[in-house]
Parts: sequence; C-alpha cells; structure tokens
Amino acid sequence: MTATVTLPVPATTEAPVRTRSVPAAVVLAKRRLALTVRSPRSIVVPLLTPVLFALVIAPALANTIAAPAGRTAYMTFVALATVGLLIPLNCAFSGLGVIVDRQQGAMRELLVAPIRRSSIVVGNLLAALALTALQLVVLIAASALRGAVYESGVRMLWFIAAAIAFAVFMYGLAEILSVRLPSPVEYIGAVPAVAIVPFFFAGSLFPITSLPHWLAAVAKVLPLTHALALFRYGIAGSSGVRALHNIWGLHNAAEMATFSLLVLVAYAVVVFAGAVRLFARAGTS
Amino acid sequence: MTTLVEASAVEAIDLEKVYPGDVHAVRGISFSVEPGEAFGLLGPNGAGKSTTIGMLNTTVRATSGRALLGGLDVATDPIGTRARSSVVFQDTVVDQPLTGRQNLELHLRLWGKDGADGRARLADLCALVELSDVLDRPVATYSGGQRRRMEIVRALASDPQVLFLDEPTVGLDTRVRHDLFDALASLRERTGVTVLMTTHYLDEAERLCDRIAIVDGGRIVACDAPANLLAALGSEVLELRVDEPVQVEQLLVNAGVPPADLFVIGTTVTIVLRQQAGDALLERVRDRALVLRSVTTRRPTFDDVYLRLTGGRLDTDNI
Repeated sequence: MTATVTLPVPATTEAPVRTRSVPAAVVLAKRRLALTVRSPRSIVVPLLTPVLFALVIAPALANTIAAPAGRTAYMTFVALATVGLLIPLNCAFSGLGVIVDRQQGAMRELLVAPIRRSSIVVGNLLAALALTALQLVVLIAASALRGAVYESGVRMLWFIAAAIAFAVFMYGLAEILSVRLPSPVEYIGAVPAVAIVPFFFAGSLFPITSLPHWLAAVAKVLPLTHALALFRYGIAGSSGVRALHNIWGLHNAAEMATFSLLVLVAYAVVVFAGAVRLFARAGTS
Repeated sequence: MTTLVEASAVEAIDLEKVYPGDVHAVRGISFSVEPGEAFGLLGPNGAGKSTTIGMLNTTVRATSGRALLGGLDVATDPIGTRARSSVVFQDTVVDQPLTGRQNLELHLRLWGKDGADGRARLADLCALVELSDVLDRPVATYSGGQRRRMEIVRALASDPQVLFLDEPTVGLDTRVRHDLFDALASLRERTGVTVLMTTHYLDEAERLCDRIAIVDGGRIVACDAPANLLAALGSEVLELRVDEPVQVEQLLVNAGVPPADLFVIGTTVTIVLRQQAGDALLERVRDRALVLRSVTTRRPTFDDVYLRLTGGRLDTDNI
C-alpha cells in the first residue's frame, strides 16, 4: 500500500512568522498616528468647537444665566460638558480616516496582511484614544485657565474610565458608519446627528430634569448622559452627584456612578464588537 | 511505502464565486502553480481573474471549491496563507503622505519580518530597483515608475512564497511598464518567488509568465506555456476584411473549416490554416460574390490565440 504525504512548500529563507494580534494593533495605531501627524488639521479641527465652547460660550452663558455666586460652578458645568462634544467629534474624524484608507487603497494592503481583521479596528481605536487623551488635556487645561474649577484626586479615575468607555463606544459607532456609509459626503452628513445632537439632550447645558418628562426619559438611556454625569462626578464634585441622582434617583453616589459606568461599558462593548464584526465581514466579499 | 510530494505553491480546486444577484463571476476554476513558476490568468474585463485572485488572497470568500497556498487551506487558515503571500494591486496602496521607508517598515512589521534579516533584504531589494536614494521622501513625491517599483519591493519585502500581481500595469505608460517588467524579472531571479498574475495585456503575459491560463466567462478555456498556445495555431493564419462577415463565416464552416479555427472581430475574419489551402477558401468566397476588402496571410500571434479563445468564436448552434 502506498501513501502520499504532501509537504508544505518550504520558505525561501525562513518560515513565515505570524504577527500576534496585539502587536499588530499597536503597529497599526502607530501608522494612524504617523498619518495624523502629517495632517495636523485632523488634530486641531475636532478641538476647535469644544475649546470655543469652553472658553467663550461657557463663560458667556454663566454671566447671562447664573447668579454671581454660581457663575464659576456653571461655567465649570458647561466647560466640562464640552468633553462630551470633543470625544464624538474626534472619533468621527477617526472614522473618516477609515474611509480614506478604503478609497486611497491602503486598506487593501491591510486586508491581505497576516493579521486578524479585528487588529485593524483595534489599531484605529488605540490611535483615536491617544489623540482624544491629548485633546482632553488641552481642553481641560484651557478651560481651567479661563476660570473653570476642577477637583483632583482618586475620583478622577471615574472621569478617565468614563472617557475611555465613551470613546470606545463613539469610535465603534464611527467605524460602523464608515462601513455603512462608504462615501465621505454621506458620512460627513451623518456626523452631526451622531456626534452633536445628543449633546443638547444629555444634560450638557442644564440638568436633564429641566427637559420635558418624555425627553428626560430618552436622555437617561443616552450613553452621553451617563458619561457627562461621570465626568462631573470625577472632577467637578457635587454637580456630578446631582447628575447621577437625576438619572438613577438613588442617594449612594458611588453606587450610582458604578451603575452609570456599567451602562457605558455595556454600550462600548456591544457597539465595538458590532463594529469589529461588521468590518471583518466587509473585508471579505 | 510513503511517497513525499512537495505541495504546489498555489492550488485552485473547482473554485466558484457567485455574487449576490446570482452573478456568476467564477464557474469552477482549477489550476496549480509550482514553486518558482510564473503563472498568468489572462482574460478580458469581467472574465473572473481578479475574483479568482481575491479568493486566493482571502479578500473574496469562495462560494464553493478549495484554494490552497503552500498546502494550507485559504478558508481554514487565512492568516497562515496571508503570511506566505503578498499582493501587488492595480493601484498604489501605500500611504502617500508617509516616506517610502515608513511604508516598507510597516509592511515588514505587519508580516512579522522586521528583524535584521528583513531589513537587510529590504535594503537589498531597494538597491536592486534603484529606490535607495528616495526612501526618505514621502511617496507622494515619487514618479509613477518609482511608485510601482516601490509597490513591488513592498510586496517582496516580507519574502513571500507567492506573489500575486493583480493587473499591475493598468494605466501605466509604456516606459513605466517596461521599467516594471525589468524590476520584476530581476526580483524574480533574485528571490525565486512564485508569481501568479492577472492581466489583459497579451505581451505582458507572454513576456512574464511560464504558463498562462486564458479565462473567459469565469472558466479557464486554455492553459499552457505561451509557446505551446501559439503553436496550437499552426504556422499560418489567413485574415480577411469583408463586408459581410457572418455570411463569410458560414461559408467557411460549410467549406469544412472547423468552427474553433475561425473567429470574427468586427469585419475581420481570421482563419487558422491547417490542412486547408488559403487559395481554395478565397476562391469559395469570390464564387459567392462576397466582397473582400483585403486579404493577408501571416504568422499567428498571441493576439490570435487570445481572440480565438475569448471572442468571436462561431456559435455553431445558430448555423
């Protein structure tokens, strides 16, 4: 009896090395950052509106609406809300980068690389998180110089955790949009609805209790409402506790913050997993 | 007794692809490419060439059939097969704002070949195609020829066992095309890489490939070495320019010319002359008072091979 064994083709010099998923994501994040550095507009433009809001509109609103004793607190309240504008806008710009990759061809090279397709999405996310962190530091510092007052301490971790979870959620949404709306024109047209409209209903400029009852109920399920409450709980003290109370109606601040963070994490996990799945499917026709 | 057989570098087994809307792009394509061989898929637009390459490089999911790269199944080990291959696309896929060096190093890192060996190979390849001096400039500043050479070096930098070239010269001017042929020949000689290319340029396939599969309507209609494909047409063809090609075609078939030896493109009827005497066929045409605008006898070219197999073939059912 004769058996035939087929041998794999030997490599010309060495066996192929398989790149592990995490390093591949880091390589791709560095690529994205290198491209961003070559186009500084993509860093500055998402920062413009939030900085303008924090430096000009927040103090103006405080002077117009708040009593003299409460002006600083209100300015801090609004200035911090601009974080909820910055993160979605920055993630939306990152999603645009995916469309550019697809249109200019670079995505084709990435899709035939020996890496998991999820690494491409994770790499883009890491770059978006790094840029967002840089921009957040600029925004918070600028608003503090303008007069907003922030608290530091361990509770700042709530701010950081909420910012990361919210950014993951928003980036996942941007990635989904970039697959569903592959034309830059359509994509840009959808950005205000996703990145800006929720800002006005999530307790950015006033507590959600000031909204009509039904709209307040809608606000309670928006990820941004939970994110803003946690940002304030993390670095703006009592206004954060009130924002959490407006959502949950409880009295234990740490418990409410945990619930809100869990909500944000759940949104982030579901949307980001959906984005990865959709991207991987779109990568193979 | 056990016999050890080295796997083909590429093996396509009855590959089929049906896109939504019941569009049959590929209808059961099978071929194998031996290590170190240059194999071409030649066919008109829409023949299914790029879809076939897509199924081999994991960007297109086969509806049925199997594809193997170096013995690994593309469907079950996509990352493994991608690690063994690289693709040169029709268009530039490198990041143009980045420098050539940044792009090439990115490729090495993604393929896990960024060690000392990988860097040495990269330097060697760049020197071979005269890119070393421009590596630190953004790719956006490169000439068309430099960009294409850069794409080839990028694809070979990871030392792939199989290099896919998907219509690599579309839209390039003659000088850049020849520049590319030259670079490819040198690099193939140096690396011994297996090449699988798609093209619809006959000269390109003839010049670069050891074997060619002619693809039409999602099927392989012929597969052989270019010289053998050409030899199948014999030593002479008769080319007639006529006013009524359909009538002339029918007349010639009735005169005993096999339908496979006859093809019509526009008003030109080309007949592969084997046993038939060209003069006798011409007499038949003249006897029927069909107008002959010109008559040429010549040696067959690769164009004839291609046109005979992919277009102008007589539909014998309608005779």
